[in-house]
Amino acid sequence: MDWDQLELHPRIISAVRRCALSVRAVLCLSAPDLQRLSGLSRSDTQQLLTAAATACRRHAPLPALLSRGLQSSLRLSVGCPILDELLRGGLPAEGVTELSGESGAGKTQLALQVCLSVQYPTQYGGLNAGAVFISTEDSFPVRRLQQLIRGQSCLRSDVPPSLISSLNFSDRVYIEHAADLASLQECVSRRVPLLLARGLVRLVVVDSVAALFRSDFLASDWLERNRQLLTFSAALHHLSREYSTPVLCINQVTDVFSSSDSLVPSSSTGTPTVAPALGLAWANQVMVRLMMWRLQGTVSRGDQSSAPRRLQVVFAPHLARGGRGAGVWREGVRGLTETV
Amino acid sequence: MKMQISSCSLSPAVKSRLTAAGFHFLSELRGLSPAHICAEAGVSQQEALQVLQAVRGGASMRGGTSGGGEVGGASVGPPPSLTALQLLQEEQSQRSIFSFCSQLDATLGGGLPVGKTTEICGAPGTGKTQLCLQLAVDVQVPVCFGGLGGQVVVVDTEGSFLLQRVQDIAGAVVKHCSLLVEDDEQRVAMTTFSVETILSNIFLVRCHDYVELLAELHLLPDFLSEHPRARLLVIDSVAFPFRLHFDELSQRTRLLNGLAQQLIAMATSHNVAMVITNQMTTRLRGGQSQLVPALGESWGHAPTIRLLLQWAGTQRLATIFKSPGHPGATVQYQITSDGFRDADQSEQPPSKRPRTHTVQSAAGQKDSNQSAAGQRDSNQSAAGQRDSNQSAAVQRDGNQSAAGQRDSNQSAAGQRDSNQSAAGQRDSNQSAAGQRDSNQSAAGQRDGNQSAAGQRDGNQSAAGQRECS
Repeated sequence: MDWDQLELHPRIISAVRRCALSVRAVLCLSAPDLQRLSGLSRSDTQQLLTAAATACRRHAPLPALLSRGLQSSLRLSVGCPILDELLRGGLPAEGVTELSGESGAGKTQLALQVCLSVQYPTQYGGLNAGAVFISTEDSFPVRRLQQLIRGQSCLRSDVPPSLISSLNFSDRVYIEHAADLASLQECVSRRVPLLLARGLVRLVVVDSVAALFRSDFLASDWLERNRQLLTFSAALHHLSREYSTPVLCINQVTDVFSSSDSLVPSSSTGTPTVAPALGLAWANQVMVRLMMWRLQGTVSRGDQSSAPRRLQVVFAPHLARGGRGAGVWREGVRGLTETV
Repeated sequence: MKMQISSCSLSPAVKSRLTAAGFHFLSELRGLSPAHICAEAGVSQQEALQVLQAVRGGASMRGGTSGGGEVGGASVGPPPSLTALQLLQEEQSQRSIFSFCSQLDATLGGGLPVGKTTEICGAPGTGKTQLCLQLAVDVQVPVCFGGLGGQVVVVDTEGSFLLQRVQDIAGAVVKHCSLLVEDDEQRVAMTTFSVETILSNIFLVRCHDYVELLAELHLLPDFLSEHPRARLLVIDSVAFPFRLHFDELSQRTRLLNGLAQQLIAMATSHNVAMVITNQMTTRLRGGQSQLVPALGESWGHAPTIRLLLQWAGTQRLATIFKSPGHPGATVQYQITSDGFRDADQSEQPPSKRPRTHTVQSAAGQKDSNQSAAGQRDSNQSAAGQRDSNQSAAVQRDGNQSAAGQRDSNQSAAGQRDSNQSAAGQRDSNQSAAGQRDSNQSAAGQRDGNQSAAGQRDGNQSAAGQRECS
């Protein structure tokens, strides 16, 4: 943003240019400081600040009724009506959703399913675009993705089969590998915005967030780790808001030894003795937090059987705390109708 | 209007030299350089600078063209001084913004005060955004129901303001108020109090980083002047854009202090309640880690009242840990699909209510028969003993008329009982729906006076009580 674009008296602009201040830097100074630096009078300084503020703000306060257009009230369906009901429509289009759980709980399965459901048109709960899957741990499970694609007509009975066969699912899932933090940051700040800007994708999945942050740092380096984590999370938020894209982050869990802190409720029934990894710093950045567990026993459907899972809402601004049972089948993750 | 040189505050020698040189009005000197004035009038450099300062001082006092109109409230001179008695009267006539959690409102003396800054801290998921949304809807409750009938500005930095949730909360409040309608004024008010009007009175701004937040706060005083009905400003959350890594922490502290000063100035000059949400961070002290509100120690001095929301087992607790006017207290709350509410507690059996209230209830009955606007007049009636129970906080009366459910929850609170008995009487005359009818079951001797409708409601007792909560 240049000073010439603002409507200011030339005298004020030249004074500001003399102190080499950018428009954003001017707002970070207090009025007396600015007066001293620029040598302008008090009223001139006020004018300067007002012009800079008007240039930096996105829009004036709008009635919430009208901001329905601004804020995307779209939801991305996860592919199963029972789980969508738990999420009141699906993943919110602007904001970071976190899905954590132990290994084998089914997080990657659900993420793959969401990568496919985003490709449907909006009337079927999708966003009519592809997905980018950033994998940090293992190699991407390509065969499982193909199996899910083959099972889409079985999973999505609400969509006409002609539409399903006309969509080329695997073409629109972009896979990125990030082996260390530097390449992860580069991926999120350079390559993914390119895909988003072209409208090719409207879902970003990071599997998993914890892996690189936990492995690259020693326990004593937590300050540096937090700094990197916050930079990464700021990049994700920027992408989510700029392109109105849901971001799904998969997280690992860590053991909880004493639930004496007041962070989470400790219920006597089904007490989780695990908590999402990366601590409070990451928890403050997340808008919707979901957890997935693997339970004992089996459930069966037709000729398939699966260990029952549970998908739980830990916190979200618009969701009640609650959970649904789910099973992982050949065609994907489906919610179970009976309460588990 | 031109200001004459002879009337401004310069030394007489300088003034005579300027008039001799042909200058009569200050406006003629504007825009001249000091050297020019020296040459023309034969004054020294120092005196020429003084003259120019006087020119500028005169111009800005009148909001002259060189200064522009953007001086705002800063150049309007100091406000008139008030005595403490005047301040007390102002405070008492000022209503607070109630949340629907009666225990929290009771510990805060009616609710969140208007004109002060309140901070809500808590770990993620404890309900800070829920409380903010609840307050944003509660401030719009019409005045005849005990609310403020005001508008609200929400500054959202996290993106957690979701319309779905606001619609839930707004719908629950509208439903609650429509059940409390008793007279014509309230009926009229309800026609303009619906979910759509609630949403149109919430002004939403999204800020994506701290510079946008500072820009927005700089322009807010003008917005508040254009919208004099605004009574609440919510910033959710102020910590989020400032948690990024700053190269020097001192810059962050400086920005936050400036922000705090702006908020306090706006709160007092525009009579707006400020509600800010903060996050938690861990602080290492010795070998132990502690959970403390984020943004540092100096930020802690900015808000007037600080609330901490936390979990204790499966319970949600709200603690007041900084307030100049209320003792630190911890209350329980819950978050339902309707919003921020009292936790489910076992009610005190109604028979425990003291008998003295029968006298007052008779007075209440008479008033309601006579007055046109039934509930308010009975609150302010000549039943002196009731007033003495209630202290001068007029707003509490107003609040209770709106949140009938709270009355039923707090059978122990002495002053509220007297309002309930009056309310119970009125309902027997009007057979309105909902909460108040269930209160009549409390005073057994009054049942005999009531119509058949009253008898029916007397049987509802505990079940009715629970409905409201």
